[in-house]
Amino acid sequence: MIETLIPQIVNGLVLGFLYVLIAVGLSIIFGLLGVVNFAHGAFFALGAYFALTLYKWFGWWAVPLAPLLVGLLGMAVELLLIRRLYGKEPLIGLILTFALGLLIEALVRLAWGAGGHPFSPPPFLAGIVEYGPLLITKYRLAVLAATVAILAGLWAFLNFTPFGRILRAGSRDAEMVGMLGINLPRVLTGVFGLGCLLAGIAGVLAAPLWTVTPSMAAGAIMPAFVIVTIGGLGSYLGAIVAGLLVGVVTALTIQFMPEASAAAMYVLMAAILLVRPRGLFGERWERFE
Amino acid sequence: MTDMKFTNTLGTARGVSRRGLLTGAGRAVIGGAALAAGGPFILSARGEVPLKVGLVFAKQGTWTEQGELLVNGATIALEQARSQALGRPVQLVWYDEPSPQAAQQNFQKLAEEEKVAAILGGTNSGTALAMSAAAKRTRVPFITPNAAAREITGKECNPYTFRVLTTTPVASRAIGPQLAAIGKKWYFICASYAYGMDVYAEMRKQLDAFGGTEAGFDKTPLGTTDFSSFLLKIRQAKPDVIVAGLPGGDLSAFLKQFADMGMKGRIPVACPIIGDSDLWSIGPEAATGIYGKPWHFSDPNNTAADMEFIAAYQGKYGKPPADKAWLGWFSMRSLLGGIEQAGSVEAAALLRGLETARFEDGAIPAYYRDWDHQMLRRSLVLKVKDRITDKWDWLDVVKVTPENPLDLEKQFGTREEIACAMDRA
Repeated sequence: MIETLIPQIVNGLVLGFLYVLIAVGLSIIFGLLGVVNFAHGAFFALGAYFALTLYKWFGWWAVPLAPLLVGLLGMAVELLLIRRLYGKEPLIGLILTFALGLLIEALVRLAWGAGGHPFSPPPFLAGIVEYGPLLITKYRLAVLAATVAILAGLWAFLNFTPFGRILRAGSRDAEMVGMLGINLPRVLTGVFGLGCLLAGIAGVLAAPLWTVTPSMAAGAIMPAFVIVTIGGLGSYLGAIVAGLLVGVVTALTIQFMPEASAAAMYVLMAAILLVRPRGLFGERWERFE
Repeated sequence: MTDMKFTNTLGTARGVSRRGLLTGAGRAVIGGAALAAGGPFILSARGEVPLKVGLVFAKQGTWTEQGELLVNGATIALEQARSQALGRPVQLVWYDEPSPQAAQQNFQKLAEEEKVAAILGGTNSGTALAMSAAAKRTRVPFITPNAAAREITGKECNPYTFRVLTTTPVASRAIGPQLAAIGKKWYFICASYAYGMDVYAEMRKQLDAFGGTEAGFDKTPLGTTDFSSFLLKIRQAKPDVIVAGLPGGDLSAFLKQFADMGMKGRIPVACPIIGDSDLWSIGPEAATGIYGKPWHFSDPNNTAADMEFIAAYQGKYGKPPADKAWLGWFSMRSLLGGIEQAGSVEAAALLRGLETARFEDGAIPAYYRDWDHQMLRRSLVLKVKDRITDKWDWLDVVKVTPENPLDLEKQFGTREEIACAMDRA
């Protein structure tokens, strides 16, 4: 039994880290801007598609370039659309970003076609690592390492840099931050861009794991929402813990009750919300209550 | 009455779809071949009222690619017929099929508001089954090109529904002996919906017939993107063969991760029915397996009409037609053939026309069997080439069934096996 469980738990943790990376951008945008970004999955897919195209021109430079491009696009979207939603009824933001997600997906279909595209990992990351009952692809290990590094860097950025402090302060009391002479609108544009950049990174990393298809957005957005809800809306630590939980629970359900594996994360979410309605690490946020 | 000139700038399914969406109706109206060629199309006095044919194929979501391919094929069939039937211009009206329920509603709209003569639709078994019920209710002839679940022409059959794709039982019987020759310990991984469960039931019967054992069986949620945990289970079970009852994108993701986990070449993967694009989307380095298909563009048995279709498709889209495009083409061809045979588009006459028409398809013509409306024609078993050198042609035909064309009826099952009780009232 242990020989069966250990590989599944390890596989679930690795998958969980990828889910965390998808979810953390969503969590940051909600936590700091108060916008539920339904287009997050579309930005995730755009990361994969940009990498696919840029690879033809720039080789592996496409890996950093694609998310940057997604981040810049996110900033443009914030300037043109999202900015108008601050302080408004959350439902409007939800509808707008939902429509934006559909629009981006339709544009992806027009530009790249409805079919899937192969995207292989770099040759040095092809192959597997076997250790006893454990089996994992080298690429998944690389995704794990990259995700941990990105999450640590992001945490340090938000906690120890002046920009991070402005972000956190601005999310609590925008008016006060503005009175201190800080150009908060520009900061908020940066936050939305950062969230989209993270979605783009997740998309680039996921492209060689899954095939690149227009519907990959749908496959990413639901786990991301579940993770953000379980972890507590806007909680960074919550997103990490919830992502790993969802990964492990899904993997173990596949082992014992495969047909329920898609539903497992929703059951987990329902159970946690029943006990703790704000999610695992959800705090009381005065601006939302 | 003077002849009137009618010029249509809509040439392709894609262009039409966009225009249709922009007009706000969420539908596309596709013009005919002469129109696509750019020339004016002169209508006779009798043909001033176009004959409408409905299409219900996916324009969004997981099944979009299949929808697009099916419509591309159907459009070429219409173009080859100069966009006419019984001397009247034919106009296509294309609605979406985002879910079985929505597909059913769109079917009903086409029948009642657009007054179409017949409908082609269904990228998958779920939506096809739903629309089959709508066909019965609205009494509009319905041809479904790409649905494999047996119920469509089995227990759920009705006089208005016709199916072109080989059924899962037939495809399973074709591929079963090939797999039993490799080994008799099979692992089943099947999507949890009509087609996936049908593959499990039929391939399990094959396994039992050959005295084999089941190494494992996993039902996977439809739309699964990550199969790594399933692959760990399969690896531990050490089967001789993996039977994957997975549709489109699910099969692509499975095969990709199967290769990534170093399992390609170790355990053969098989699926009774797949589409070319399922393989094309994963790249030649991940492609592997033994598969069933209704048709393949490089099959040496292709007819002259098939070759004309391939040339037309290649000229228009710059690549060979996938099997789904052929299914769309053959379905539309069968509808036009049925209309010509009936000499009318009145539903009862058209049903009879479809039941009695014969379609060129090699050694013996293909036809819809009159008591279950299943199209009877040959099935192919193919294997991914050991070394892929061509950009598109990755498969070799290893078997054509039935070997004796006279066994066609038998291969598609007897009345007792099919259990179709058609209520013609």
